[in-house]
Amino acid sequence: MRHKEKVVKHDEGKVFDIELEESILKANEDLAAENQQLLRRHGIKAIDIMGSIGSGKTSLIENIVQRLKERYRIAVFNGDLTTTIDADRVAKHGVEVVQINTGKECHLDANLVAKALKDVNLRQLDLILIENVGNLICPGEFKLGADRRLVVVSVTEGPYMVLKHPFIFMEADVVVINKLDHAEAMGVEFEKLQRDTEKINPRAKVVGASCRNNIGTDRVIEALQIDSI
Amino acid sequence: MANSIVETVLSEARKRNARSVLEVQLVVGRLTMLGLEQLRYCYRLLTKDTPLERSKLRIEQEESRVHCENCMFEGPIQFKQEPQYHLIFPTLECPRCGGGVEIVAGRGCFIKSVKLRT
Repeated sequence: MRHKEKVVKHDEGKVFDIELEESILKANEDLAAENQQLLRRHGIKAIDIMGSIGSGKTSLIENIVQRLKERYRIAVFNGDLTTTIDADRVAKHGVEVVQINTGKECHLDANLVAKALKDVNLRQLDLILIENVGNLICPGEFKLGADRRLVVVSVTEGPYMVLKHPFIFMEADVVVINKLDHAEAMGVEFEKLQRDTEKINPRAKVVGASCRNNIGTDRVIEALQIDSI
Repeated sequence: MANSIVETVLSEARKRNARSVLEVQLVVGRLTMLGLEQLRYCYRLLTKDTPLERSKLRIEQEESRVHCENCMFEGPIQFKQEPQYHLIFPTLECPRCGGGVEIVAGRGCFIKSVKLRT
């Protein structure tokens, strides 16, 4: 007796072409716009502070806080992979701080900032300083909803940092060239970094500073034009 | 970024009961920070053992466009040279009036289409 063979034939299936137009970066941009609207509704101004690891972002924030805490009700968001070291430093100045630990991500994004915004009382704030994760590459790509973007670069990083990272400097409204007290020892000129920045972004305001010695803070504040936001 | 791309395509594939994904057409702006080689590499790693494994990732580059509010120049982003370091870098300086330009295109990253097998 012969069995009738049952053959399961491989089904080739159907092939579909699907138009998606699904934007990958837009999700972050939409959320950043929502953050900005939320801040506007509460009359809060926000500044995104970017720069390399060890460039002096936290020191600059401490100086700005010290100068402006009588004028504005300030909160500081500190972005880092881990630890609350920066948040602890800023908290000593008597302002509200939220540490945003990204875990593994090398930048803050609008979602993380949206979460941090839920952790503060927006009715009691005028200004939020957001310290991004130390990195001169990715933070530029991810808007947070801030009104101004500031990049800190220090002379101890060498003379080529600006030209090597044009994209983040294109994003900047203000560029702070820090650690000028070490410029001579490093053989790096402020004017060179300033010229490099202007070549990439003629609209960015370039300010020299020595944050550890609290020099240049007033010029940074002036360049940020916080009152005209 | 590669993860978001893979997740988006996977969710589309699930929604349509697709057995496999044959092709993903991606558009990446020239002014994004995305490196195409790294993106392809991550895509391969992330799609292993998923319906996207063996799919073809086609990447189309979106050209840049800038606009100058001052002199109304509109065109691709300009580049400058730093011969000392053999370096070419993009600039927001307007080639016509020397003012600052706004980027109007070249910063996007989107999935244009996918080809699925059901």
